[in-house]
Amino acid sequence: MPAGASTNGAPAPRGFGHAMETAGAWLLAILWILPLAYAVWTAFHPAEFATRFDPRAPLTLENFRNAWNAAPFARYFLNTTLLVGMVLAAQLVLCTLAAYAFARFAFFGRDVMFMLVLVQLMIMPDVLVVENYRIMAMLDLTDTITAIGLPYMASAFGIFLLRQTFKTVPKELDEAARVEGASALQVLWKVYVPLAKPVYVAYGLVSVSYHWNNFLWPLIITNSVGSRPLTVGLQVFSSSDQGIDWSIITAATLMTSGPLLVAFILFQRQFVQSFMRAGIR
Amino acid sequence: MFTPLKRFAATAAAALVPLLAGAQTTEVSFYYPVAVGGPITKLVDSMTADFEKENPGIKMKPIYSGTYQESIVKALTAMKSGEPPVLSVLLSTDMFTLIDEGAIVDWTGLATSADDKVWLKSFYPAFMENSETGGKTWGIPFQRSTIVLYWNKEMFKAAGLNPDKAPENWKEMLQYAQKLTRRDASGNVTQWGVQVPSSGFPYWLFQGFTTPNNAILMNKSGDKTHFDSPAVIEALQYWVDLSQKHKVMPPGIIEWGTTPKDFFEKKIAMMWTTTGNLTNVKNNAKFDFGVAMLPANKRRGSPTGGGNFYLFKKSTPAQQQAALKFVKWMTSAERAAQWGIETGYVAVRPQAWETVAMRKYAAGFAPAAVARDQLEYSVAELSTHDNQRVTKALNDGLQAALTGTKKPEQAMKDAQREADRILRPYRK
Repeated sequence: MPAGASTNGAPAPRGFGHAMETAGAWLLAILWILPLAYAVWTAFHPAEFATRFDPRAPLTLENFRNAWNAAPFARYFLNTTLLVGMVLAAQLVLCTLAAYAFARFAFFGRDVMFMLVLVQLMIMPDVLVVENYRIMAMLDLTDTITAIGLPYMASAFGIFLLRQTFKTVPKELDEAARVEGASALQVLWKVYVPLAKPVYVAYGLVSVSYHWNNFLWPLIITNSVGSRPLTVGLQVFSSSDQGIDWSIITAATLMTSGPLLVAFILFQRQFVQSFMRAGIR
Repeated sequence: MFTPLKRFAATAAAALVPLLAGAQTTEVSFYYPVAVGGPITKLVDSMTADFEKENPGIKMKPIYSGTYQESIVKALTAMKSGEPPVLSVLLSTDMFTLIDEGAIVDWTGLATSADDKVWLKSFYPAFMENSETGGKTWGIPFQRSTIVLYWNKEMFKAAGLNPDKAPENWKEMLQYAQKLTRRDASGNVTQWGVQVPSSGFPYWLFQGFTTPNNAILMNKSGDKTHFDSPAVIEALQYWVDLSQKHKVMPPGIIEWGTTPKDFFEKKIAMMWTTTGNLTNVKNNAKFDFGVAMLPANKRRGSPTGGGNFYLFKKSTPAQQQAALKFVKWMTSAERAAQWGIETGYVAVRPQAWETVAMRKYAAGFAPAAVARDQLEYSVAELSTHDNQRVTKALNDGLQAALTGTKKPEQAMKDAQREADRILRPYRK
């Protein structure tokens, strides 16, 4: 992705420079794809060929079957999808409203509050594990999908990002809408949100991939198959006493990251463009 | 931490259950980490289901909690938030840490009947070394292991060695390894003589060198280490020399997780790893292999490892009684034998080896008994107060010596100084 983006859109440089840039892009792309290529190789071949390359090695789906049977992955998929969907929906609503307030309304203590939001950006969520657990226990939410998502719903990063974007929207547009008689929320919905669409797409991708991959907090706050996401389910395969069965672990990894990969390939163009416009890397 | 709703539900349940089941149900949550491959979670689920069938008043709630490290994080986080599990399987070496945190209660005060007392004494003494301190039993051995040597019989034959005889002592292991190491025309090694992993937890493998050299790394109360004693430094010198001087072991840090794979791929002739790997090797090695006790030097010896059952403080007397019943059931001779056969862990008490199932298994697969026979010479795994940090000091020193950035003597002196600094507050 970074490699592909570097040559995209910019005026094409000529000659030697161009060749170097293309070679660099290819090099980075190959480095980036290598682990994935290894995972595909290992997952589709018997364990004997995990570290040996032999083009005539027999293909097999046995690893996928074993991985699928080792844990209730169907349920984990559902949980992860619910989790990611819930977190994203809540984040979009909360962050939009908060960012709008910070960007366009003057109220007492606005700057201090915004600073507090920024402070949250500096704190690793892992530090707050004990406090978060205590709150979830008080709310009687331990071992639920809601408990996994709740601490992440008011995302400081989302608020910050959208506020900056809303600030770049020309005031004139806002005023024109008001003159037409639009209320504050209508202005937000009709003017700000459509203009910030690329940012929403980019932020959505970051958020979805983060929560799809999040591990420590879901492991700690959940206890049962009914609420656990894929990452925790995958952990069954890291058998530290025994060494690692790469074939099964790569099969399981491909299986669980599959939906994200497919989604990325399908929407690749939109993602890359959004990232360029939103300026996130 | 009860909310009104939960209290209502609890009251309602308490009122209903006697009507339905005729007795009150006690719920016992228990965390367990998985450190060996295969569908262990299903095995645990089926064993707890069997237990519930035999004990209708008790509801077990097995909670799979990740690796050992993640499990202790989860257990301590839950404890600090007021909702600890009743029971948890955690590393035997975490005993001092759990005591210092005030997280657990001892089993001695709970297991008071004559039958219970016999049960507490029924485990292999080597496993109890890591489970007792100050005259009390804090952990009940469950998934326990020890280090053994695996060797490839075909390679032994090809090198002109007796394929049925493993190296008896350090000198032999070095000689064998020299014969087993092969180089191609340009001097690159195609087959290594021996491989002792050193990633992750090298201190544990290191105890496989220090124990035969008659060195014990820490005292019983867990507040003093002996990393810089001459016997320890000598043991490290032997380990380092295997790769740096004699060049019969791959140089640098050797990955623990891929060592069995190297063995299957015939890149190495001998490997040191846990008995927990037995089932794995049995299923995946496409050649004849043998399992032996670690080679002796001044004596025989290997550390034990693995997990114990701990009982958490914040549980009701009824839960503690139910937990005791469950742990006794899980460590009964038949269950310990079943657990050992299906996972490869060492069955934790002598009676388990007397059961029909175990006898049959050991008769058909002789290596299974090697770990048991080695227990006689085994010592406790390194365990002190503030265990993670002390262990890290030693690990850093070992890896520095193995990569050649420090001389063994210097590395161990530095590790000892760091350990002293960490342990000073615990010495009274």
